Amino acid sequence: MRKMLEQPNLITRSMIAAGLLSLFAVHGDCFGQATATAPAAVSAFIATDKPGDDGRAILLHWEQSEATAQVLLSRSLGDDERSALVRDQRIAAATKAIAAGATQADAVKAADEAERVFANDTELQWTFIGIAASAEGAEGFEVSDLPRAEKGFRFRAQSTRDGVRGVAAETTEPVEAVSAAFFAARFPLMIALSLLIAVIGRCVWTAVHGKIPELRKIAALDAFDEAVGRATEMGRSVLFVPGIQDMTDIQTVAGLTVLSRVARTTAEYDATLEVPTTRSLVMTAARETVQAAHFAVHRPESYRADLINYITDEQFGYVAYVAGKMVREKPATCFYMGAFYAESLLFAETGNSIGAIQIGGTAEPSQLPFFVAACDYTLIGEEFFAASAYLSGEPAQLGSIRGQDIGKLIAAGIIIVGTALATIGAFAPEGSAAAAASWLVDVLG
Amino acid sequence: MLKRTVPLFITGIAGAILIVAYFSPATTNWGEVVTDWMNTLAAVAFILGGGNLLFVNLEKISSKRPGWAYALVTLLAFVLTLAFGVLKIGAVPNAQFPATPWAGDYESVRAPFGWVYEYVLSPLTATMFAMLAFYVASAAFRAFRAKNIEAILLLGTAFVILLGRTAAAAILTGWIPVDGPFAFLRLDTLAVNIMQYVSTAGTRAIMMGIALGIAATSLRLILGIDRSYLVSD
Amino acid sequence: MSALKFQHQAQRTRNAEEERARRGSPVDSQAESRVESRVESHVESHAESRIGSPAGSRGASRGQMRLSTRHTRMRRARTTVWLILFLAGGIGLAYNALVRPNGMAQVYVERGEKVYVEAVVAPPLGAPSGEKAATKWLPSDDAALIDGRAVANSAQPSIKFTETRGIAPRIARERRTAGDTNVTLSIVDTLGVWIAAFFTLAIFSFLWRDNPVYKFAESVLVGVSAAYWMTLGYWSTLVPNLFAKLAPEAIKSWSMPAMIIDPSEQTTQFILALVPLILGFMLLMRLSPKGGWISVWPLAFIIGTTAGLKFVAFIEGDLMAQASNTIAPLVALKEGQLQVGDSIGNVVLLFGVLSVLTYFFFSIEHKGRLGTMVGKVSRVGIWYLMITFGAAFGLTVMGRITLLSQRLEFLFGDWLWIIDPANIR
Repeated sequence: MRKMLEQPNLITRSMIAAGLLSLFAVHGDCFGQATATAPAAVSAFIATDKPGDDGRAILLHWEQSEATAQVLLSRSLGDDERSALVRDQRIAAATKAIAAGATQADAVKAADEAERVFANDTELQWTFIGIAASAEGAEGFEVSDLPRAEKGFRFRAQSTRDGVRGVAAETTEPVEAVSAAFFAARFPLMIALSLLIAVIGRCVWTAVHGKIPELRKIAALDAFDEAVGRATEMGRSVLFVPGIQDMTDIQTVAGLTVLSRVARTTAEYDATLEVPTTRSLVMTAARETVQAAHFAVHRPESYRADLINYITDEQFGYVAYVAGKMVREKPATCFYMGAFYAESLLFAETGNSIGAIQIGGTAEPSQLPFFVAACDYTLIGEEFFAASAYLSGEPAQLGSIRGQDIGKLIAAGIIIVGTALATIGAFAPEGSAAAAASWLVDVLG
Repeated sequence: MLKRTVPLFITGIAGAILIVAYFSPATTNWGEVVTDWMNTLAAVAFILGGGNLLFVNLEKISSKRPGWAYALVTLLAFVLTLAFGVLKIGAVPNAQFPATPWAGDYESVRAPFGWVYEYVLSPLTATMFAMLAFYVASAAFRAFRAKNIEAILLLGTAFVILLGRTAAAAILTGWIPVDGPFAFLRLDTLAVNIMQYVSTAGTRAIMMGIALGIAATSLRLILGIDRSYLVSD
Repeated sequence: MSALKFQHQAQRTRNAEEERARRGSPVDSQAESRVESRVESHVESHAESRIGSPAGSRGASRGQMRLSTRHTRMRRARTTVWLILFLAGGIGLAYNALVRPNGMAQVYVERGEKVYVEAVVAPPLGAPSGEKAATKWLPSDDAALIDGRAVANSAQPSIKFTETRGIAPRIARERRTAGDTNVTLSIVDTLGVWIAAFFTLAIFSFLWRDNPVYKFAESVLVGVSAAYWMTLGYWSTLVPNLFAKLAPEAIKSWSMPAMIIDPSEQTTQFILALVPLILGFMLLMRLSPKGGWISVWPLAFIIGTTAGLKFVAFIEGDLMAQASNTIAPLVALKEGQLQVGDSIGNVVLLFGVLSVLTYFFFSIEHKGRLGTMVGKVSRVGIWYLMITFGAAFGLTVMGRITLLSQRLEFLFGDWLWIIDPANIR
């Protein structure tokens, strides 16, 4: 199924179409008739609404037995499109007349004439959609991104070969693109999500009911307590940087769940925890989180909102401030948990220069190398998202990690099966293995 | 109840609705609508952030804490820039609507706000960014001293990629015949192969892992399993 | 040895190799170079806390000694860089002041007075008969006013203002010599270049060490940038997305004259804009002593929506799409011939994806038969990760050096006028 996107610039498109069509016509007149015959007209030309979409696509089907022929496709203009086109044609005609030295009254007459010609010329009532191979009619040619406001469209198909056009076929009744209740194309995604929810839900359920999964150690997480302990012993503060994105980034949210665990430990150890933030909302959320942590370990009195501050939204302004603060106050431990961009290395190298224990965690693949190279411990990608669940030690949260793992197993299984099918398919491109592999690739997106 | 149960309910319902909404043409744009709301909300929250910035610095100045002079600098810079921008002081009139003074262009370099951007903010941020050249060097230098296999792989690859994409590749390994059996040892070919196969594999697996991590994190939040941002009742 | 707390870490019997692998960090050396001399008393405990890494087993005094030499060396290197930059700047300044006739850091502008008049502009000739004339502000020398398509509204007084545009110094000098009084040296912009140069050097001074000049630049940067983003938030988010939807007519006449109001959408827009308004109000309740609890509600809403949106987006865009991309034949055939290189590449790729996924497998401890095997595969996964990170590292280095060269270009070009590749000064 081929997809043709309709670009909004109707005028340009119409002009190209007209040019293209006239080119075909000229060829037909001069050389075509001597060398080529007109291909047979397409038959059984029908337009149907594409099911399971947002109501902006139509499927065209036709029959054309001549494989060497191509099919020129057009559709009727919508009301708005027609009036815009008429206006442009009128203005163009008037401008042309004035340029040729006509009076204003004559220019208006020229515009009226242009409109009359337009109304009478049936060819101008169509807008070009695209050229399809003759075989595409069998599987269906998709016309997408149709103007939403219009009620219905008629379509026209004209076969062509070597510049010679056959008789045009038209759909009689206007076809309306209808919006479905659900996107059919997103069905595989729906299955994938349901499966994941079921798997993770099931693992949470079993964990809550006593079967807590055994998890491998993550060194960075083992180091959390000792890192905070070190700060306490040295009488220095703990710095927590929750990334530079807002709450609309899930990494920031994940960073705050990690903050919650760090805050519990600092509250227990009576260490000072400083959280400079680059977003106002993150400051609010961080204050909420740290306060909640203090309540959780029954030390609400030691919570200090003034250690959690908004600095600036500007990433380099923020890093200038934090780097300066680090050099001056020398926190013993630095956590970098969230979304980071270029500033990651500025943090980590400054932290290095003051001898802080540094634990980084991010899901920005481009910044992981710098954390890996400059931090003592790094939570890489998925480890970062598992961190708060690990640290919580709660059965339900640990169960969800098991669910994540099963998700990976399923993904790996699909990749292995798909690769096997594709490999067999490489030797027999027409076979069912190849078809199954390409179906799998299609379904996954 | 109001502090804990209601927020848990809000998180769960909001998350679940947006997941379902994605699948119907009628509701698929809800995600965009909500993202717009979030942006607006973030702008409203500037009152909290800005208020906090003012408060912290004023407090530092009034109690003459160490470094209060810098707090004064921050405060002045903040208040002046904000006034230039929000009040559109000296904004360049809009040529299409010269009679509407509030439609003026405050970001033009001819307006005080734009001037501050051009000659203060932009050089400051660009220089902070440029400092990375030194930091990248020192990070590489440090990692270079590591003697385990991971560090060697990381730095070795970094060097191959760096050399493979510069003229150094031709100088160092240009003599290896392109169609010979050792062609893969040419630095430019090696760099391409590392990117195409090994690095692609790593990146893909990282991305898949992250996606699953996000799925589990989201579900923990939506199902109310992770409620670390909420004060317990 | 200050921290007994950490000693037990070094004593934990662990597989050192595996541990380092899990840490995902090529770290041995970091324990050494990380620590600044001022915190030397903690060096040992720090080193030992590094769980089984060779640094932890080294003699404390030796580690300490290496640390301080390393540190001194690095600091010396940074001092040298700073010194070179400083000297180059100083020499450049002196050279410009003494030798060059044209000086440095000058910005010229051309000023011209513009007069705008309100005019009634007829629809374009030939436009359909129903189209109405529009009232617009036009420059007094606009072609439409001259040829009669637009008629100035005499009741409305005209508006005058000076338009200024930058002009290359070389051209400016020529025109000034020719007696063009519209071209002048812009004091504010020239001052701006000096200020920009000062701030550039001030930030670079941090490479040497923290100092009052850097602190000043940092304070300015924080204040200015916070205000910058707030201003942008106000004019490009709050005004068009909130105020303009709540009171379209008022905002149109106040600051958004180009706004097109669609009456059929107005009510929907109003209702949609109320939501963030209410949420914002709840958020601000934090400032009131008693209403703080309600500010958690909008936060809960934000967290919920972020979770919902990202859940779907990442499963579709990353998990499924990447799995789909990975499905490919292991053997590469080209016209029936086996392509050995590409085939090996495909196998390497598939194994890489699977081994890195294995590394991210959490719920199997690397013990026992299955566990050990998983541990081995995941170790290969770590190697893949390290190569991936190394490649990203290598790619980034070039970009960072470009950034630095741009700053140097500013200093030596725009400010000192020592280099002038485009020949404009």
